[in-house]
Amino acid sequence: MWFSGAMDAQPIPAIEVRGFRMAFGDQVVIDDLSFAVRPGETFGLLGSNGSGKTTTIRALLGIYTPTAGQLLVEGRRFDPAQGSRLGYLPEERGLYRKESVLDVMTYFGRLKGLSREQADGWSRAYLERVGLAGHARTRLDKLSGGQQQKVQLGVTIMNSPDILILDEPTKGFDPVNRRLLMDLVDEQRSQGATVVMVTHQMDEVERLCDRILLLKDGRAEAYGTVAEVQDAFGGRRMRVTFSGVLPASANFRVAVGERNYAELELPDGVEPNLVVRELLDAGVRLRGFSTARMSLDEIFLKVYGEQEAAA
Amino acid sequence: MNRHNLGTVIGFEFRRTVFKPRFWLISLSVPVLIAVVVGLIALSGQTTAERAENQGSEPVTFTYTDASGLVDPAIAKAAGGTEVTDAAAARQAVVDGTSQCHIDFPKDPLSQSVEVRGTDLGLFDSGRYSAVAQAVLSASVEKRIGDPVVAKLAVNGADISLVTYADGRPTPGLAGVIAPGLFLVLFYLAVLMLGNQMLNVTLEEKENRVTEMILTTMNPTTLIVGKVIALALIGIVQGVAVGLPAGIVFGLFSGSLGLPSASDEAGAAAVLGLIPIDPATMLVGFALFLLSFLMFTGLLVAIGAVMPSAKEAGNAFGVVVMSMFVPLYAASLLVSDPHGVVSQVFTFFPLTAPVSALLRNATGGLSWWEAGIALVVLGAFGWAFLVLGVRLFRTGSISYGSRVRIGRALGIGRR
Repeated sequence: MWFSGAMDAQPIPAIEVRGFRMAFGDQVVIDDLSFAVRPGETFGLLGSNGSGKTTTIRALLGIYTPTAGQLLVEGRRFDPAQGSRLGYLPEERGLYRKESVLDVMTYFGRLKGLSREQADGWSRAYLERVGLAGHARTRLDKLSGGQQQKVQLGVTIMNSPDILILDEPTKGFDPVNRRLLMDLVDEQRSQGATVVMVTHQMDEVERLCDRILLLKDGRAEAYGTVAEVQDAFGGRRMRVTFSGVLPASANFRVAVGERNYAELELPDGVEPNLVVRELLDAGVRLRGFSTARMSLDEIFLKVYGEQEAAA
Repeated sequence: MNRHNLGTVIGFEFRRTVFKPRFWLISLSVPVLIAVVVGLIALSGQTTAERAENQGSEPVTFTYTDASGLVDPAIAKAAGGTEVTDAAAARQAVVDGTSQCHIDFPKDPLSQSVEVRGTDLGLFDSGRYSAVAQAVLSASVEKRIGDPVVAKLAVNGADISLVTYADGRPTPGLAGVIAPGLFLVLFYLAVLMLGNQMLNVTLEEKENRVTEMILTTMNPTTLIVGKVIALALIGIVQGVAVGLPAGIVFGLFSGSLGLPSASDEAGAAAVLGLIPIDPATMLVGFALFLLSFLMFTGLLVAIGAVMPSAKEAGNAFGVVVMSMFVPLYAASLLVSDPHGVVSQVFTFFPLTAPVSALLRNATGGLSWWEAGIALVVLGAFGWAFLVLGVRLFRTGSISYGSRVRIGRALGIGRR
């Protein structure tokens, strides 16, 4: 594995998890989980509710003590006192609600190592950018939920973190502010930050993430680049536009079927040519066709839909 | 502990409390309340004096019967009295409103009460009738004795000055309790004024769901220590805010309260001269106060980390404070039998140790070895509670909206 040690001259992973196990009493939440996040990459940590994503992040950041295993940030156990530049946007949002926006941002800026002037200047510039300049002296609890989220995101990305961990970052944002948030995250990426996204928004994962990890019941269900995971789960697909009636066949399964459009799932070993010939032989008039991979949304449904159905 | 972050936390916590109008509104309401009470007392004193003066100028007219034979008719007449023989008729005359007052001096005033009937003059002024009855009888008895000095001694007694000794040195007596007793008062005020804020040291992060942001930005020990230091500073500011106006009010009105005036040098010296100060007792009192404060803080921090909301924590806070002040109910026992089993149990049990040890120290009933044990108990439990609080805060305060199970929270940490 590329992150196995210094001998292969690979850089130290931004995040490394080895043999992580977490149990609360008799309940095992995570079992033997290993993965690594490379410096500068955008990594997606995916899973249904209760699959162990947030627990993994909390253990990584020292909030929970793992039952077993090693969780390292830049090669060592995370300790905020050691000055690691890490920004974390937790799933549970919240700041000091009775204080003013600027006071809270300046406070966190100071805790992140900025001087009072730097923290104040950075905060004012950020508030200007996200349209909250007029609310600098407003108490946080007087802001709307979305506005509070913007402030919290600002606190998270203050002092240009090397590692940015975002747990459900778009939760509670409308489409406009979601775009703004993703632009801000993009900026951090372009400045070289490692980004870990814990999310259910598969379109964002497909668009932004270099690699992903799918967690199911505390175990890694899939781990690799988006394409690798798609290949591992979905195999190949064909999208066909047609007129006529699709025949029943052992060479494909209709995953999506509409009047003149269908997505056909091809088993291993079946070539698209064979399917095209079979359709033509059956009298189907093809207007167009292309090959495609299964979307992450579909993979998610496939993996966790079974779980939900069982539940 | 990161000094920069510690300073940042102290500054933030201090500013966001002290720079708010609500803080000053609450803090200054105490001296304002004291000023109002003192003003009322002074006003009441003045009114009472004026009333007494008026009473003297408005003599009571009364009838009386004297079965004892002790009442001097001349004295009674001078006081506005007329002797009658039919007591029942005289009493009825008062009921009918034709007579202001009737007094029956019984045969044996030592074992029987003097019966007084009078027309109502209000809650305070009606006391004039009893005063007249007493004055007539006392003056008559004095006249019978003949020697005015003997008569005064018989009626008023003599001033007695008591000095007691221990180990060959005079003991301070009740006045000796005042200076070391201030630490008990200080502790009580600290609990009263800072208790809720201490409880919120960890609760606030939990209620605002800011714990994870904080824990990934700084060490929780730094946060909690910073908050406690800020609270202590806020307590000092609050103490000055309360004490300074109270001192000014005392200086201005001490004369009206019947106390030596503190506004002039001689008066201040008189006030301070009444309070003996023993350095050793004061030192022990100070140490007990500090460690009691530490233990109380640690306990509230731990409670705050476990409870899901301020409301639930408030209930637990009430129980803790009640148990801490339980020794006050046994105060007489702690003072009269300071080395008894109950006193020692109270002194060495962590929750009751602060009040018991401070009270016993103030009343001179705490030996050096008992003080040592109490200090060790308070210090050890204060430190343990703080460590526990930090640990529970780290693992437990992200259990938003639910009470933390201590065993589970600590169990996670052990694995």
